[in-house]
Amino acid sequence: MINHLGIELADICKLYPKSDTFSLKDLSLSIPQGIVYGLLGPNGAGKTTLISILCGIIPATTGSIRYFDQGQPISEIERRQVIGFVPQDFAFYEELTAKQNLDYFGAMYNIPAAYLGPRRDELLEVLGLSTVAHKAVSTFSGGMKRRLNLAIGIIHRPQYLFLDEPTVGVDVQSKEAIVRYLKTLKQGGATIIYTSHHLAEAEEICDRIALIDHGRLVVEGTTGGLLENHEAPNLQALFLQLTGAAFRDQ
Amino acid sequence: MSLYKLYASLKKEFLLLINDRIGLMLLFVMPLLLVGIITVIQDGAYKVVNENKIPMVVVNDDHGAQGEQLVHLLRESGLFEIDEPVGVTQASVREELLAGGKMLALYIPTGFTAGLQANADEVSQILLQDLGLDSDSLHRGDTALPTLQFFHDPVLQENYAQSVLGMLYTFMGEIENTLMVSKMYSAMDIAGKESRLKEKMKSTRVQIEPIVAMNGNSTVVPNATQHNVPAWTIFAMFFMVVSLGSNLVKERNNGSFMRLRTMPTSFALVMISKIVVYVGVAILQVLVTFGMGMYLLPMIDLPALALPDNIIAAGVVVLMSSLAAVSYALLIGSWAQTQEQANGFGAVSIIILGAIGGILVPIFVMPSYMQMAAKFSPLHWCLEGFYVLFLKGGSWQDLQSVVLYLGGFIVACQLGSFLKLKIDKII
Repeated sequence: MINHLGIELADICKLYPKSDTFSLKDLSLSIPQGIVYGLLGPNGAGKTTLISILCGIIPATTGSIRYFDQGQPISEIERRQVIGFVPQDFAFYEELTAKQNLDYFGAMYNIPAAYLGPRRDELLEVLGLSTVAHKAVSTFSGGMKRRLNLAIGIIHRPQYLFLDEPTVGVDVQSKEAIVRYLKTLKQGGATIIYTSHHLAEAEEICDRIALIDHGRLVVEGTTGGLLENHEAPNLQALFLQLTGAAFRDQ
Repeated sequence: MSLYKLYASLKKEFLLLINDRIGLMLLFVMPLLLVGIITVIQDGAYKVVNENKIPMVVVNDDHGAQGEQLVHLLRESGLFEIDEPVGVTQASVREELLAGGKMLALYIPTGFTAGLQANADEVSQILLQDLGLDSDSLHRGDTALPTLQFFHDPVLQENYAQSVLGMLYTFMGEIENTLMVSKMYSAMDIAGKESRLKEKMKSTRVQIEPIVAMNGNSTVVPNATQHNVPAWTIFAMFFMVVSLGSNLVKERNNGSFMRLRTMPTSFALVMISKIVVYVGVAILQVLVTFGMGMYLLPMIDLPALALPDNIIAAGVVVLMSSLAAVSYALLIGSWAQTQEQANGFGAVSIIILGAIGGILVPIFVMPSYMQMAAKFSPLHWCLEGFYVLFLKGGSWQDLQSVVLYLGGFIVACQLGSFLKLKIDKII
């Protein structure tokens, strides 16, 4: 199967105000459509900054980003309609129910009411939230909130889905449910850009990987190809080989 | 911006509002309590001064005609409940006042009548001498006028004590004048014929008609209800900063706004929805508190709230006040870093702005620099708008400065919010 170019990043730099260090420096990537793309790196490597720039939450200081659909570039307005974003934090209203949250964010994606109801119920069912759909989210466990966070990001069936640590702090059951659904999305043709510290999980689902450190691209390629080229038994070994064993959050 | 999105956004704001139980209590229960309690208290104070009799201890050691006349006049005034306890002396009047729960006491000394009569004799002799009717018997002594002692409880407001004192001087003037006329008629050997003059003196007193300065044909009567219902409604409107301000901070901090930035929607939609829902809340607050003023307060023997004749102007003032309150809450919510900051600063700032703006104490009793400061409080201008209509029967022209100031305040707050959200890259 030929994968069209999905996202093209050229020479992306990001310098936050009042900072003298670039969070991202001369980062160029080409992400094909229809794959799971892993953005990996130690703490402070620049992964969340990169996802925020890709989603349009913050601007890049310099450089350009282009989105494509079937090889054709798309506009900024079209981009907003085709991307889904699942942030690391729980970005929803804890006072509202799961159903009310999905209805609100679904409407913000312009999903017609007639279609929104069945889609919402489908997601609640698939992600194991249908029995608590009418309960305030503030009563949910961490795993349930994480699943709802994912459901909101995918309610409009995005072509591009950005996930920032989607399985952090959840139990094995919730993690399994999330990973299983991501695979389903990929089979449906979605492009998934994903960051995680769970390297075994990343190795299982990512087709390609970009390893970032200190805001720069260290290495990029297919998961299998990178392991083979660096003679690493697994992704964790490759990660330590390329980024070192020193702590990064001190 | 589609109506569908607007509906969804309004629904979300409404759901957030009704899920905020404490916020709802502050928005609707607090103003009802404030309006009820403060109106009852102020109406009670008004009745104490104007309708109820103030207890007064009178110790009359004079036992003469003029002492009795003074006590009679005090009784006749209908303002005092006179108590003449037996066995109380000049030395123990103070203790009797403090121990007996009375507010006022008057001590009439021994020789009060004699002293007044001696003084009246002297005045009449001076007059006769000046008229050339009598020069032989002129006595130019220095008659010492008797001194009354007036005690009042320190709890009693100074201005009220002063008004009672003024009343005593009036009564004494009447007694002394009457006595002097009698003495003069007696000195001229026409005693007994002075009654016509005395009657004339009483009947030709200048009457003073009290008029409340209101515009046009307004029939609204100023009272505790007319003052308090609008004032505390405004206070409650601005107190929405606790609900709306913290709501905005929460959305900024929990990532909801960040998520919205990735969606095909406008941030203006979020802000418009908040403004619409909370202006609706403010208007509902007005309806609830005004309804209380019109229907509930009369049931507890308080004056009913009378709406102004110009209902459309009242609607404009309500709308401007609501927008000012919502805009202030959005400003606080945009600049506060945490919900605690929004709640704490928001609540304290409203109390300060309310105090400066004349909600707690009327502006005219403030020092001049505080009266100047009042013009910087949006609550003052909201209150001024309501008072122009509710108390003064004002017209559109009288509302010009209110509308201009509140309009400027709303624009400044919205710009301040926009600026901060722009700096934070939320919009």
